[in-house]
Amino acid sequence: MWIPVHIDENRPEPLYHQVEVQLRGLILSGRLAEGTLLPSIREFAADLRCSAITVRRVYQDLENEGLLRTRQGTGTFVAGIDQSARDGYRLERVVEAFERAVETGLQLECTREEMERIWEDAYKRKLAESDGEKGEGR
Amino acid sequence: MNRGMDRVHATSVEEAAVALRGVAVRRDGFALGPLDLSLPAGMVTAVVGPNGSGKSTLLRLLLRMEPFEGEAAVLGQRLTPDSDVSLRERIGFLSELPHAYESGLTADEKARFASIWYPGWSWDRYERLMRSLDADRTKKLGKLSKGMRRKAELAVAMSHDPELLLLDEPSSGLDPSAWKTMLDELTQFMDRGDRTLILATHITEEVRRLADYVLFMHRGRCLGLYEKDRLFEAWRVLAVQREDGAAGRDDAARLLKQAPGAQGAQEAGPGICRIESDSPEETAAYCTSAGYRILSSQRMELEEIMACLVRKGDAGR
Repeated sequence: MWIPVHIDENRPEPLYHQVEVQLRGLILSGRLAEGTLLPSIREFAADLRCSAITVRRVYQDLENEGLLRTRQGTGTFVAGIDQSARDGYRLERVVEAFERAVETGLQLECTREEMERIWEDAYKRKLAESDGEKGEGR
Repeated sequence: MNRGMDRVHATSVEEAAVALRGVAVRRDGFALGPLDLSLPAGMVTAVVGPNGSGKSTLLRLLLRMEPFEGEAAVLGQRLTPDSDVSLRERIGFLSELPHAYESGLTADEKARFASIWYPGWSWDRYERLMRSLDADRTKKLGKLSKGMRRKAELAVAMSHDPELLLLDEPSSGLDPSAWKTMLDELTQFMDRGDRTLILATHITEEVRRLADYVLFMHRGRCLGLYEKDRLFEAWRVLAVQREDGAAGRDDAARLLKQAPGAQGAQEAGPGICRIESDSPEETAAYCTSAGYRILSSQRMELEEIMACLVRKGDAGR
C-alpha cells in the first residue's frame, strides 16, 4: 500500500518528525481508516528513501500514542480512534496554521489591524474561489 | 525534540553483525586499518569511499579471504584461521570481479555447486530470483555481458537465504531496469528484519534508496559510521553575506572556517561565502553574530559530505 507522505529534505525538521506529523494527520483525519495495514518498515523506508530506523521510530511513536497497533507476524495496522481525538486534531491543525501566519506577520512587523484585514480578505477571497469552483462544476 | 533524541539513543544500540577491534590488513603498497567498528545487525550498511579506500578488502576479510591482525567477529562468531565452515554458510557474497575459473560454467552449473555447499540452498528461491532479474541460465558465464553475469551471480549469492549478505559494487554493468529489480529484491530480502546487508558502492542513489547506515572509508581508514538520515539532516551548506554589503573582507572564508561546525568555507561571489557545516544551527548563529546574513541553507549530497570528511581526514594525518 502506498501512503501519501512527502518528505522535504530542505526543511530543517528531522525526517522522522516530518513523516510522523504527516502519518498522524492521515490517521486522525480518517484518510487512513481503522484496520488499514501499513507497509512494512523496510518497504515504507524504500518508498520514502529514508532509513528503516526512521520508519521504526515513527511506528513506535504512533503506537505509543495509540494510533497504530502491531500484530506480531502480520504487520502494523491503523488503530480505532475516537471521535473526540479526531475533532481535537482538526482544530489543532488550524490553530497551528494560524500561529505560523501570525508569527510571519510579527516578524514582518504587521500591525494587528493589518493582520485582521489580511485575514478578512483571505477569507472572502477563498470563499469566493470555492463558490466559483462549484459554479464551474455545474 | 528532546524526547526524539532520547529515542535515537535507545534504539541505536543494536546487536552487531560485524565487530572489529584493531583489525588491520597489511600488503605491499596497501594498508587497511587498524579498524574499530561495529556494524548493526538487521540493517543495511553502505560502505562508500574512493577507489582504493579498502572497501573490497574490508568485505573480503569478513570472509577470511584476507589475512588480518586484530579481533573480528561476524554474526557473533569470532574469526580465527581455523573457524569452522558453518559461519561461511550463513554468509552470501558477490565479489567485485567475477572469478575467471567460473567462466566456463553456466549459471545453473554454478548454482549446482552452490547448492551442495550451502545447506540453506533453495532451488525455488534461485529460480524465482533468476526470473525476477531476467538472468540467462544456459549460456556460459564467460560469454555473458558484464551485467548479465552480474545478475546470475547475484541470484546465486542470495539463494541460500544468507543471514549476512556482502555485495561488492553489485550494480556495476546493470541496466536501469535490472538495477531497479535488484533494489526491490534487496528490499524484500531485508523485509523480515533479521537479515543484514553490507554493500560497497559508488552509486549515491543506491545509498539513498537502500542504506540505513553509511560507512565512509578513505586510504584504508574509516572516516566514520553514520545513521543515514541523521547524516543528511545534519550536513548543510550555508550561503552567507556580510550585513554591511560591499565592505567585503578578503579573509572572510578564512575567518568563517573557524565557525563552530564549519567543515569548509569558500568565497562564492562578492561578499558571499559558502560554508559546509555538520552543525548548521551553531554555524549560523556564529555567522550572524560575526555580522553575516544567512542567505540560504541547503542539504548536501553524499559526494560533497565525503569530500569534506576526506579533507578533514587528510588534515588529521
